[in-house]
Amino acid sequence: MDLYVILKLVWAGLLCVLLIGLGLMVGMDMGVGTLLRFVGRTDGERRTALNIIGPHWDGNQVWFILGGGAIFAAFPTLYATSFSVFYVVMILLLFSMILRPVAFEYRSKVDARLWRASWDWVFLLSGFLPMFVYGAAFGNILQGVGYHFNWSGQYFQDGSFLSYLLNPFAILCGLMAVSLSVMQGGVMLMIRSENPIHDRARRYASRAGLVAVVLFLAGGVWVRGMHGFVLEQGNPAMPANPMHGQHVSMQAGAWLNNYAAHPVLWLLPLLGVVCMLAEVALVLANRPRVAWWMGLGAWVGTIGTVAASMFPFFMPSTTNPDQSLTIWNSSASQYGLTCMLAVALIFVPLILCYTSWCYYVMRGKVHTADIIKDTHSY
Amino acid sequence: MDLINPAVVDLSRFQFALTALYHFMFVPLTLGLTFMLAAMETVYVVTGKQVYKDMALFWGKLFGINFALGVATGLTMEFEFGTNWSMYSRFFGDMFGTPLAIEGLMAFFMESTFVGLMFFGWDRLSKPVHLAITYLVALGSNLSALWILVANASMNMPNGAHFDPETLRMTFDSFVGVVFNPDAQAKFVHTSVAGYVAASMFVMGISAFYLLRKEHREFAARSFRMAALFGIFSTVAVITLGDVLGRLDYEHQPTKIAAIEGLWHTSKPPYEPWIIAALPNDAKQESSYEIGVPFVLTPLITHSFTTPITGMIELEDAAAPRIESGIAAVSALRRYEEGHQAADLEMFHAHQNDMGYGLLASRHAPNQDVTAIPPEQIQSVVEQTKPDILPNVFVTFWSFRLMVFLGVFFFVLFAMASYLSLKNQLERNRLFLKICMWAIPLPILATEFGWITAEAGRQPWTVFERLPTFMSASTHSVSYMLFSLAGFTVLYSIFIAVELYLMFKFARLGPEAHGQHDHGADADHLSVVAH
Amino acid sequence: MKIFLRFAGLGLALVVALLFAVFVGDQGPWYFAWAVGTVMIILVAAAGGVLFDAQTEDHVSEGEF
Repeated sequence: MDLYVILKLVWAGLLCVLLIGLGLMVGMDMGVGTLLRFVGRTDGERRTALNIIGPHWDGNQVWFILGGGAIFAAFPTLYATSFSVFYVVMILLLFSMILRPVAFEYRSKVDARLWRASWDWVFLLSGFLPMFVYGAAFGNILQGVGYHFNWSGQYFQDGSFLSYLLNPFAILCGLMAVSLSVMQGGVMLMIRSENPIHDRARRYASRAGLVAVVLFLAGGVWVRGMHGFVLEQGNPAMPANPMHGQHVSMQAGAWLNNYAAHPVLWLLPLLGVVCMLAEVALVLANRPRVAWWMGLGAWVGTIGTVAASMFPFFMPSTTNPDQSLTIWNSSASQYGLTCMLAVALIFVPLILCYTSWCYYVMRGKVHTADIIKDTHSY
Repeated sequence: MDLINPAVVDLSRFQFALTALYHFMFVPLTLGLTFMLAAMETVYVVTGKQVYKDMALFWGKLFGINFALGVATGLTMEFEFGTNWSMYSRFFGDMFGTPLAIEGLMAFFMESTFVGLMFFGWDRLSKPVHLAITYLVALGSNLSALWILVANASMNMPNGAHFDPETLRMTFDSFVGVVFNPDAQAKFVHTSVAGYVAASMFVMGISAFYLLRKEHREFAARSFRMAALFGIFSTVAVITLGDVLGRLDYEHQPTKIAAIEGLWHTSKPPYEPWIIAALPNDAKQESSYEIGVPFVLTPLITHSFTTPITGMIELEDAAAPRIESGIAAVSALRRYEEGHQAADLEMFHAHQNDMGYGLLASRHAPNQDVTAIPPEQIQSVVEQTKPDILPNVFVTFWSFRLMVFLGVFFFVLFAMASYLSLKNQLERNRLFLKICMWAIPLPILATEFGWITAEAGRQPWTVFERLPTFMSASTHSVSYMLFSLAGFTVLYSIFIAVELYLMFKFARLGPEAHGQHDHGADADHLSVVAH
Repeated sequence: MKIFLRFAGLGLALVVALLFAVFVGDQGPWYFAWAVGTVMIILVAAAGGVLFDAQTEDHVSEGEF
């Protein structure tokens, strides 16, 4: 196979890894944010919950930034087009995301009821909304998006932002992402908290897990009847130019074609469902540490399922299917992909090492009594 | 017909400028304060005196308040290339995305992961390990700036990439060319060290406030001393690198340097004055009320006494043939894109160096399409496009001057501060302390002016001489832009109000308010004054 | 043996650092200047703090403070 094609595939794979890392790590912190008002009834309890993720949320959030950066570097056309096509949704996501660092740093700096209560609402908003938009984005690209390019490569939008927000399938996917994040956040709270937070988190995590399973299966059934996209003609080694070189058709149920061709792919949705159910069981059995790792499996299964059905599409266009963005026509140049790969091979292992070390240093239960005394904590 | 709406382009520019300048209010302090914290903690680890730990903790707390907003507003920047500059991101992303992604992998991850340990790890890590963590945070935040400025420099001096007619974008071809771009080097050092100046002024000003109120005197005097010394060396470095940047602009971006100096006509060495103040008029292409110092400009810019500097009118005239050739390039490219004829490609290659000028001319072409210009009208389009090659002279000229005046002021201020601090004569000079206190926001203002100079001076291009700003923006509707602008305005106003409230609150409270940590037997007796 | 390994490790680090410095100094003189300059600024500021301690101790011993 052509080296350029291999590089494109490797980067599509790495992008999946990043999206999984984002869902798992950022999703976990956002789940804690969503749950904050429910697992903590008193100020001390809420501060305990915040300080459980306190030393790590900033590092975890970089998964999100890195996700954006990697799409920009490896698939610039996808970055340029998707972020603009989803403008209003993206801006809403951004507003809720930028509230979060501020909420962490400022919430506990002033000792006033109204002040802290307001920031607690901000945590709910900035935990729920980004994960919802994250899931809804997958829902939208599965259904296809309205856009086309002119001769110079400038995109033009053919759909309204309302159709991306008020879209039943996208809402389902959004809620699915939120429930996964709530489950993972609850598990993290269980690992590092004591009662009463521990038991409340356990209750929410197990319920969220069951909701996630149901929504995941419902989404699967929905996709069977939905129109999908088929790449009829297009050379994987083509120069990355979305304006021509591809022929794409829309067919009902086409998103399951890859599964029909390669039945082994069914292992991915299976992995997702099994891990979600196992996580619920482990949560109920008070084994949050093992349950946490099941969360990884759940995310691998979920993102993997979407990736397997859409391959090689990134963002199909409904108004001009031939200009749909695929792995082949939206990637960076061979030189750019090679450079980025070298950098990633050096730094990703390094990042995993020091992130784990940080968790190791800050291990152990967080006690509400200590948090109330400590003025440095969140 | 798919046309670019100039109002949307202007709103996109306005939004980017607003969010970038806002983000940059917090970045300089992060760049500098981290290294100052590291310096304070170094003294703590070496001498074991408690007062230095108090310093690291207290300034660390103020750093944290600032850091949160830096991170939050940085998210906006990462998104905005995609959400508002779609054509730019597609055209330049192959090269431009790489430094941004490396910034995340190499720098931002390190900074963000270790900043948690820096705040929360005091009791869980040994002294040397915690010190190492502080240094890693400082290194991480500055490396982060490095990659962002590498990316920015490539917009000003697109080294390491060439245009590819097959993909209709700039193709990345040299990593070394991008990373060691001379503009990137000078910009990074200039910006990073400007951050040191801002942080020094911040620490020095708040310390001056305590000295004025005769509170926490030992704490404040030590902080003042360290900040003053930190500041004087940094200011010298900022000025040196400013000169380097000026020379690079002279060599590679003649329009920017001519606009900075308000130079409408080619200079006459050696007499040519350096203009201190003037009122440049962009519409009439002349300046009124010029006040200048003779014999300064030529050696300042060219480092010689005889080399003339080309003026803006002459640069416009020199651009005319390039615009015409650019129109030919863009027309050939469009025909090639639609028909893939070898003759069109050949035609394009003959004119490809001027392609950017052809794109610039498209806003004056019928339906923004240069292939639709009738041959007899080409000259009139060229004439209309000529003034477009210049940046806004008034903005570039004045933002540069304000930055320079402030820089000179900092030099004097830090020199006096270092002298008075070393002589232990600070508390006698109350007026001087007051000036230090009021000067806290000035370095941040100066960095903002510097950013305006660099970015406004690069106009009308996003990628210098390759892609005009006019073509770079996403094709949104005006209502989309008003929605996002309104949101940013509301959110950012709340943020700055909260930030300032907390900063003032904790600065007033002073170091004792959070002195919850235990005082070891080795605690310095003098530091009791600070508690 | 342990001492030898330690010296060998330190020597290797030194060689790598030198090669790095030569490369960066060659390709990016300003990057090199930044690294050296930042270290210098930190050391000067730290020395200023230590000097302050020395000065105040002198004052205390002379009974001026």
